[in-house]
Amino acid sequence: MLYRTAGQFKTTYEADHALFPVRQDAILLGVILTLAFVILPLTANEFVFKALLIPVLIYTLAALGLNILTGYAGQLSLGTGAFMGVGAYACYKIITIFPEVNLLVAIALSGFFSAAVGVAFGVPSLRIKGFYLAIATLAAQFFLVWLFEKWAWLYNYSASGAIQVPTIEMFGVVVAGPNAKAITQYYFVLGVVTLVTMLAINITRGRIGRIWKSVRDMDIAAELVGINLMKAKLSAFFVSSYIVGISGALFVFLWRGAAEPNLFDIPLSFRVLFIVIIGGLGSILGNYLGAMLIVALPVVLSYLPGALGIPISSSMVEHLNTMTVGALIIFFLIAEPHGLARFWAVLREKLIIWPFPH
Amino acid sequence: MRKVLKSTLLATSILFAAPAFAQDVLHVPNLSYRTGPFATSGTPLANGQLDYLNMLNERDGGLNGVKLDGTECETGYNTEKGVECYEKTKGNAVLTQPWSTGITLQVLPKSHVDKIPILAPGYGFSAMQDGKTFEWAFNPPSSYWDGASILLSTISDGNLDNLKGKKVALLHLDHPYGKEPIPLMEQLAAKHGFTLLPIPVGLKEMQNQSAQWLQIRREKPDFVLMWGWGAMNGGALTEAAKTKYPMNQFLGIWWAGHDADLKLVGEAGKGYRAVSWSFPNNDAKAMQDIKKLVIDAGKSQAAPGEFDTVFYQRGVLIAAMGVEGIKVAQDKFGTKVVTAEQVRWGLENLDFSEARIKELGLDGMIPPFKTTCADHTGHAGAWILEWDGAKFIKASDVMQADRAAIDPLVEVKAKEYAEANKPWPISTECK
Repeated sequence: MLYRTAGQFKTTYEADHALFPVRQDAILLGVILTLAFVILPLTANEFVFKALLIPVLIYTLAALGLNILTGYAGQLSLGTGAFMGVGAYACYKIITIFPEVNLLVAIALSGFFSAAVGVAFGVPSLRIKGFYLAIATLAAQFFLVWLFEKWAWLYNYSASGAIQVPTIEMFGVVVAGPNAKAITQYYFVLGVVTLVTMLAINITRGRIGRIWKSVRDMDIAAELVGINLMKAKLSAFFVSSYIVGISGALFVFLWRGAAEPNLFDIPLSFRVLFIVIIGGLGSILGNYLGAMLIVALPVVLSYLPGALGIPISSSMVEHLNTMTVGALIIFFLIAEPHGLARFWAVLREKLIIWPFPH
Repeated sequence: MRKVLKSTLLATSILFAAPAFAQDVLHVPNLSYRTGPFATSGTPLANGQLDYLNMLNERDGGLNGVKLDGTECETGYNTEKGVECYEKTKGNAVLTQPWSTGITLQVLPKSHVDKIPILAPGYGFSAMQDGKTFEWAFNPPSSYWDGASILLSTISDGNLDNLKGKKVALLHLDHPYGKEPIPLMEQLAAKHGFTLLPIPVGLKEMQNQSAQWLQIRREKPDFVLMWGWGAMNGGALTEAAKTKYPMNQFLGIWWAGHDADLKLVGEAGKGYRAVSWSFPNNDAKAMQDIKKLVIDAGKSQAAPGEFDTVFYQRGVLIAAMGVEGIKVAQDKFGTKVVTAEQVRWGLENLDFSEARIKELGLDGMIPPFKTTCADHTGHAGAWILEWDGAKFIKASDVMQADRAAIDPLVEVKAKEYAEANKPWPISTECK
């Protein structure tokens, strides 16, 4: 009933290929965007910004980058954390060497560094596939984290080996550093994530996206119909690492405020990979849903016992949390192996014909 | 079914009703870590802290009649969780305890904006000593550089020139914490002509340090100093015992002097020494009260046998420093429910004199010290503890660090920090 499509006629090819062929989808998106841009900022407090909204958006962006590589182009990567690190360290160096550079420009530029590194580690993908490629990207993971630790120039020779975000202003407003307001940072991150999501939707729907998908589904067939595999795979590595790189820069500059090399170690890569798998490979929406489940849900869960007044120790909360989230992951994967995005798609199909299934 | 529903409703209504009886409370949150690879070190410390606060609540009804709430937020020593916990607990906190040096790094600039003092006893940056630059951070009673200086003076019998031509290995966790002593040690090595050999242990290699100990066997350093934490301590000690490294040449910082780690090697660890600004004293009045009112009453999470250990009692001391800071603030501002800004003043004016330590019932557990506006550490000095095969015993009197070597470095590093985090507010209140 809510999703009834009867009466929505498409009279042109453009209308049939529109981003939202069903009107209700567009309305739903409008509601979500209003929620994100207007209602949440008006109602959220600092904790919600810092512990829920901003991290979910940043992890979504990282997952989006990985999803382009793994979900669309079919190249498995375990080096996401390290590529995020490249973006973060590049942004840090740009900001400390040229303090007058606009932060937005610095973040956009830092993506190119991780893109270059990503392409370099993507070269083996021309010869190896699947698990073997995963091992090659794993090498990137170990090597880069080692480099972040040993190359003191990267962290300006600070004794602790960590990088710290100075106070950065943009058009007279403090956007990064300890004095930045959480709401400013939220809008900054939201703006970047919205923009990149729009770009990603358009890339994956268009010619390049189709090339990637054909390579993913069967690369020999793709080659036979005249697709240049090298170009296709390396462009996927480039775009993916670019997005992952800017997410890394946002991760440190707009959220954490400080970072040590260990932060970009393999657990971060796995975390992003889990978001992608649980959200849904080859889906844009899935990244958002996955990030909510993996990043936001534990925070909300850890708040529950306290809010309900149940007296259990904080470590017990943590144990219960891990167990609950683990159980939920298994549940969702059994209920819908193709991820949360597919879950929503099925739900939507059902809603369209509801209440008269046949 | 209806019965079940009814009782559930009743139960929840009781749960919800409970906060209605809320009264004045001082919130002393603790970003503890009872899970993860550092849980072995973190659990006894957190237990000690919580039990001291509970003891005060039981014995005196809190502090001047105001209950103390030591709510914990579990970080697992994970910096990401640290931010979350800091944001979660800062609302009504009078101070914050970030624990990991990584979390301290993140929280430090924010604490200036949020105006919440950081209490980091015996950890954090050594440069936090400079109260003018780090107005909101406190690391009493001794900093890592104090510890490094005391360790070096121990192995050189009081004169660092004795180390000339010798090789000193620094086995450290490859983490901001482990790198803390390097600037000072490098400087002293250059000045006194000994070789410093830093051997990093990655977070992933903590439990298997065969590569590091192979390097130690090859390089044959005259002394090994350890900046270890959590699972790394046990790993290093078992490896040292296995390779028969002479224990009397193996020394650690206070976080590497944990009874549970030494018990792993037991008799084989005999002779291992650690510098420590705390010493367990079961007969101290405060400890007796904790035993009576909290542990024997079954209100403690401490495991049997944990009470006697260095770390548990150090946790007690850490809580005592925070509480004393609050008390000084209460006395000065004449109000029972102090604010975070007032507690900052309190922590700046801590006076753990011999008499006051006795009054608090902590005699023999901590050397006397005093913080000031410009000196946020206090420099109590530290004892050298030695493992006798079953427990730690005092192996020296209170030793003092070489201030002439440390203070100029503190100034340089504090300035560097302020420079890198421009615009950084420098307090003008104290000279």
